[in-house]
Amino acid sequence: METLEQIRDRLQARFSGAPVTLVTNPGPAAEHSLLLDAASAREIALFLRDDPALRLDYCSNVTGVDWPEKEIVETTKVSQPDPAGGSARIVEQKTKRLQPGCLEVVYHLYSMARKHGPVILRLRTGNRTNQVTLPSLTPVWRSCEFQEREVFDLYGVVFDGHPDLRRILMWDGFQDHPMRKDYVAPDDFEWEPTAHGEVLERAKAHLPKVEEPES
Amino acid sequence: MSDESASPPAAPTDAERDELRRHGILLTSLEELHNWGRSNSIWPLQFGLACCAIEMIATATARFDIARFGAEIFRPSPRQADLMIVSGTVTKKMAPQVVRLWNQMPEPKYCIAMGACAISGGPFKQGYNVLKGIDRFIPVDIYIPGCPPRPEALLNGLIELQKKIRAERLTGPDAARHTRPEEPSEFPVPEFGAHDLVPPNNPEVWQAPTLPRPGKA
Amino acid sequence: MTSHPYAFLALFLGVALAFPLAMLAVAQLWVRFFQRAKPGPLKNATYECGLAPTGDSWIQFKAHYYLYAIFFLIFDVEVLFLLPFAVAFTALPTGALVAMLAFILLLAEGLVWAWHRGYLEWQ
Repeated sequence: METLEQIRDRLQARFSGAPVTLVTNPGPAAEHSLLLDAASAREIALFLRDDPALRLDYCSNVTGVDWPEKEIVETTKVSQPDPAGGSARIVEQKTKRLQPGCLEVVYHLYSMARKHGPVILRLRTGNRTNQVTLPSLTPVWRSCEFQEREVFDLYGVVFDGHPDLRRILMWDGFQDHPMRKDYVAPDDFEWEPTAHGEVLERAKAHLPKVEEPES
Repeated sequence: MSDESASPPAAPTDAERDELRRHGILLTSLEELHNWGRSNSIWPLQFGLACCAIEMIATATARFDIARFGAEIFRPSPRQADLMIVSGTVTKKMAPQVVRLWNQMPEPKYCIAMGACAISGGPFKQGYNVLKGIDRFIPVDIYIPGCPPRPEALLNGLIELQKKIRAERLTGPDAARHTRPEEPSEFPVPEFGAHDLVPPNNPEVWQAPTLPRPGKA
Repeated sequence: MTSHPYAFLALFLGVALAFPLAMLAVAQLWVRFFQRAKPGPLKNATYECGLAPTGDSWIQFKAHYYLYAIFFLIFDVEVLFLLPFAVAFTALPTGALVAMLAFILLLAEGLVWAWHRGYLEWQ
């Protein structure tokens, strides 16, 4: 199979104007992926499925990732002129910026016809609050149907074009999206015999108070 | 003839009974017969939720053989069953169905919580969809720890249940649950709320065991 | 005192009535004294694999079952009449033969009608 860079170049050549970025994965598995734009994702997916060299006809996994907003602190060395009129000093300056958060959907594609893969695609939403719509790739790969329902249920990503988008694991009246980083579990920590860490903090609210012995 | 102690003669001990039995005389009581019949033909409800269900199936196979305890007839309908083996993780989505099936079983009925998940939520206790033990909603008679418990452990639990049934009386303080009219035979089914089940547990059935530890003021 | 030849039947009838009645009576006494029935709305609800029952629990009876039962009855009774006819076939006068032939023809005409109308096809 061609390398991910070659696939990216081919995609960029064919779908001019569609930004396709290569996202490197620094881990030992080196599973680099292609970050697609929501507007062009469906056509790129159809191309990847039908292209004779790639024939990626099997979508084996669809997962979601919740990227909360992150405060990034960059330290730069700036040379400041000495107000007293001496030599310039080099001062470290810290700039903070807020990287906005988003929700991401990751697709793992394999080819049954050519027996190669995986090719990993990423799609990112605008933000985590009101721009959470992404195109559904179920019309391209049928196996995405239930998995996109799971991503909708647990992360809250709304898939446009999905034939039957509803919750799959939680019940229909459930309000939260449990796999988001800011999910707070309901308070049923009355009986936690081996609590530690975060569970211990929640369980402390239910522990009975023991009278301090009068010394 | 008046005795010093006017108490009625004591019931024959087990040793005396065995002696009589060797001579072909069987002494029994109505309660014993009733309990013997019930304990040796417990019909479980075919109710498996997760991995413990596989161990339950294995118990029904020839090697571990639950049939020798009279319990090989797993009923598909709750109306014909008198034991519910809750085997596997009870998710919050499944909990109302478990309670409804428990309600639809006729008395006398017994519940075995098999495996860590049915007892208290198990290894998935902090999951967002995991009910922390089925005893939050229905009364459990026997708890079988394990993840999953081996078939021998399930058979041990079944034997303990048989012992419990044999110890039940028809009247008096040891009276069985099904003979007491004040014991409820149906329990409220939890509804699906916005964030959790409503109610999250049944306070008449389950009170959290107290762990006396110093709490923060 | 000669006993009536059918006296044992009266005894048999008495025991046949008393035995199940006694068992039912014991069961009723058991319920009254030891195990009061505890019905309830949730307990008596229709069984639907643990879900809240939706829809009607009375399903429509398929009329085809009734048709099949009727056809079976008719042809079974016909066979019942044909059996002594077959046994005494060689000893019958011609008039009887003609009468039985008319009988068979009538029923064969009923069979042909049912076949033609499609009532023998299972839907």
